[in-house]
Amino acid sequence: MAVYKRTYKPYSGELTANWTRFAILPRYSLATLFDSKILIGLLLVSLLPFLVAATIIYLTNNPVARTLIGLRGESILSIDNRFFFQLLKIQGSLAFLITAWIGPGLVSPDLTNNALPLYLCRPFSRVEYVLGKLSVLVLLLSLVTWIPDLLLYGLQAELEGNSWFTKNLSIAGAIVLGSLLWITVQSLLALALSAWVKWRIAASGLMFAIFFVAAGFGEAFNQVLRTYWGHTINLVYLINEVWADLFGVPTAVSFSRRIGDPRSLSVPVGIAWAILLGVCGLCLLLLNRRLTAREVVR
Amino acid sequence: MRSIIELENLHVALGGRPILKGLNGSLRGRAVGLLGPNGAGKSTLINTLLGFHAPSSGTARLFGRDIRSDIHSLRRQIGYMPENDSFIAGMSGVRFVRYMAELAGLPPNQAMERAHEAFFYVGLGEARYRDVNGYSLGMKQLAKLAQAIAHGPKLLFLDEPTNGLDPPARARMINLIREIRDTEDMHIVLSSHLLRDVEECCDEVLILKDGAVAALSNLEEERKTNKKFLELETVGAGAAFTEALEQLGCECASFGTGKYRLVLPVGIQIQQIYAVAANHHVEMRRMNYRRDSLEDIFLKAMQPAMGAA
Amino acid sequence: MAYRADELIVFENVSKFYGDVLGVNRVSLTIGPGVTSLVGPNGSGKTTLMNLMTGLIWPTKGAVRVLGLTAHDPERFFRLVGYCTQFDSFARGLTGREFVYDTLRLHGMTHKEAVERTAESLERVNMTEAADRKVAAYSKGMRQRVRLAQSISHHPRVLVLDEPLNGLDPMARAESMALFSTLGKEGMHVIISSHILHEVDRISDQVILLNSGYVVAEGQIQGVRDEVKEHPMQIMVRCSLPGLMAAKLFAQDHIMEAKLHADGRGMLIRTRDAGRFYTQLHEIVLEGDIELEAVAPADDDVNSVYQYLIGSEGATV
Repeated sequence: MAVYKRTYKPYSGELTANWTRFAILPRYSLATLFDSKILIGLLLVSLLPFLVAATIIYLTNNPVARTLIGLRGESILSIDNRFFFQLLKIQGSLAFLITAWIGPGLVSPDLTNNALPLYLCRPFSRVEYVLGKLSVLVLLLSLVTWIPDLLLYGLQAELEGNSWFTKNLSIAGAIVLGSLLWITVQSLLALALSAWVKWRIAASGLMFAIFFVAAGFGEAFNQVLRTYWGHTINLVYLINEVWADLFGVPTAVSFSRRIGDPRSLSVPVGIAWAILLGVCGLCLLLLNRRLTAREVVR
Repeated sequence: MRSIIELENLHVALGGRPILKGLNGSLRGRAVGLLGPNGAGKSTLINTLLGFHAPSSGTARLFGRDIRSDIHSLRRQIGYMPENDSFIAGMSGVRFVRYMAELAGLPPNQAMERAHEAFFYVGLGEARYRDVNGYSLGMKQLAKLAQAIAHGPKLLFLDEPTNGLDPPARARMINLIREIRDTEDMHIVLSSHLLRDVEECCDEVLILKDGAVAALSNLEEERKTNKKFLELETVGAGAAFTEALEQLGCECASFGTGKYRLVLPVGIQIQQIYAVAANHHVEMRRMNYRRDSLEDIFLKAMQPAMGAA
Repeated sequence: MAYRADELIVFENVSKFYGDVLGVNRVSLTIGPGVTSLVGPNGSGKTTLMNLMTGLIWPTKGAVRVLGLTAHDPERFFRLVGYCTQFDSFARGLTGREFVYDTLRLHGMTHKEAVERTAESLERVNMTEAADRKVAAYSKGMRQRVRLAQSISHHPRVLVLDEPLNGLDPMARAESMALFSTLGKEGMHVIISSHILHEVDRISDQVILLNSGYVVAEGQIQGVRDEVKEHPMQIMVRCSLPGLMAAKLFAQDHIMEAKLHADGRGMLIRTRDAGRFYTQLHEIVLEGDIELEAVAPADDDVNSVYQYLIGSEGATV
């Protein structure tokens, strides 16, 4: 018989590959995030546009079905770039709600509980940390934007035939690129706020403020100075600009359409891109500043 | 014995201020104590060795590998128990340690096994499913130790491990540290303000002062070679007793009530001390030889350097 | 030692409950001037006792009188008492000097007085050089010292210190202990709670042991030790002929046990009567046929008494 005593043993077994480490963060985060009923609710609500759009696509391509439910005449809609553009706009807003809800809780608890040294004393870098946290948001938001949209694209292509698929590839591209841009901007903003604002509710509030209050200011600016440059601080406006350009939809997105009214002109797309990417860069700088293993106070 | 930590003219500046000014030394012990007054640079040294700060010049080596180039892979073999509270919110104890072990590179099922093992090893087996936020201070310290050892490092950095622990918990922690130290191929760097902790666990001591090395001693050797003196605790001793002792030729230092330190000259026996005590009606409650303890080494190191080493 | 009522801190059958949770239960204590150490596991009621003493909370039952005053008389009471808590919080943006100065102004001192006293107390804790830097930039030990400065700055007569050595390096610890000892000798009531038993042991005149909200023992440590009769005194003896020594000791009946050490040069004695043991040991040494190397009480200190009375079951892990 042998008596076994518990002693400490160093580990000398196999290790996981370095580049997969960042994926540990989303795995653990998502496991706990899905405990939240509100999040599940938000996700379900965000999938509603997908369901509605799928129904519309089906009906558009299926005259029999249309008659069955009592719709007369030609197709109600044409499934084209405008359709997907409008869909993305709706999904984009719902995605924003998801980001505002879970974004702030991603980084601030780690900072409050001084967990950064624990992460960074391991073979794990700050870049991997940010990547890991980002992927939580990217994953969830992708599930409600471009992934279902591409499925719809496929559905439409299937139902319409006629090589609709290959003729409209630009739409597919616009879906993916547009979604990813919006996801990136929102997520980075949420992470940066989470890193700088301790209180979750305050960070969520700040996110709303950045998007909507800024929009209000921008409008006021435009009204007062009779110009359109106020739109540059309106992130919602800017992303719509970019999407409109990607989808090839005319950019009549200003709030007033009177001819001759300078406010009906729009911010050039290039500038919109620049500002959005600039915001991303700013967030990365803020994260860089805040995510250190040790605070140095003078 | 190869050296575990080598410091080569290490300079580190933070926020523009030089904190570590040219540290040199080679640490080989199983357990190295890191001591020094506040502001001497202990935390900065640990943070630098962990790779949190880059040296401004010079370098350091862990296990012979340069931290400037290899720190990322070296971290696999390092465990760190921070001084302050450090946790991931909203996780149970074992989940937290599992998470940390996976981040250190362990495959998920191995991480799971070792997390449970680590909890039992530190004595928190019962509490491992509870949320870490609900742990008491002692439990949090043990949980921090668990996350530091779960991925099986070869070098442990322990920063004030007995901070805030009540005496039984402290004794338990010290025992754990000693057990870990005695495991083959394991090395510990213990930074503490409590000389007793360092004395009980460490065989080598690095004392910093003002960002420079004030002393680097091997405690085992010190204990063997230092002068010994006699410590007395008495009841009823007065000036006459002290005089009588000095007449015998002893160097006598008294501190506190009835406490003495004597250096006996050659030829004087304990018996004679007792005779003197009997003559002066002094009861001797304690009498033993002491060698220079860590306290003395430390105080000596703190003196303005006249080539102190 | 007979003290007047206005020289003592008195707890009269005090209990404090926080809802259902017990803080302290039926505590009766008298604390005189000098250094008193407060010892016990985490959660035993030390902080409650200190908060009661400094007037921050009211007892659920019973009365607390500090030098004859209670917190019902805040004007006089709070001038008497200085409290250095274990919590490390400061208002943001202050320098060390401002922190101490502000508190003194709250006491109603004039600007000039406050500046003087601030400088004095900062000097006493060796923080004069760093006093004008922001507290946020301080190390843990420096913050500890600034808090200490604040608690002594208004020259209280009662000083309550909750783990005051936390975060201090060995020299600062020694200096602080010396400071507390001096203050105790000056007639202040210095109450220190600490887990580092051997340190407080060195300077305390009196010790109070708490466990789970009850006072388990109080008084001078030697006296407390003597009273713990279930555990006979353990004394370690190293000599040239331990067997012979043991035989001689056993001639008298106060020895209960002599355990010989494996190396053959020493033993651990358990005796019912330490006084008689020492006397007998003296005689044996003077007889001359055994060479004594060392004699030391093995459990005469706070650490051991703690083990006996509170032990590891008092631990909170």
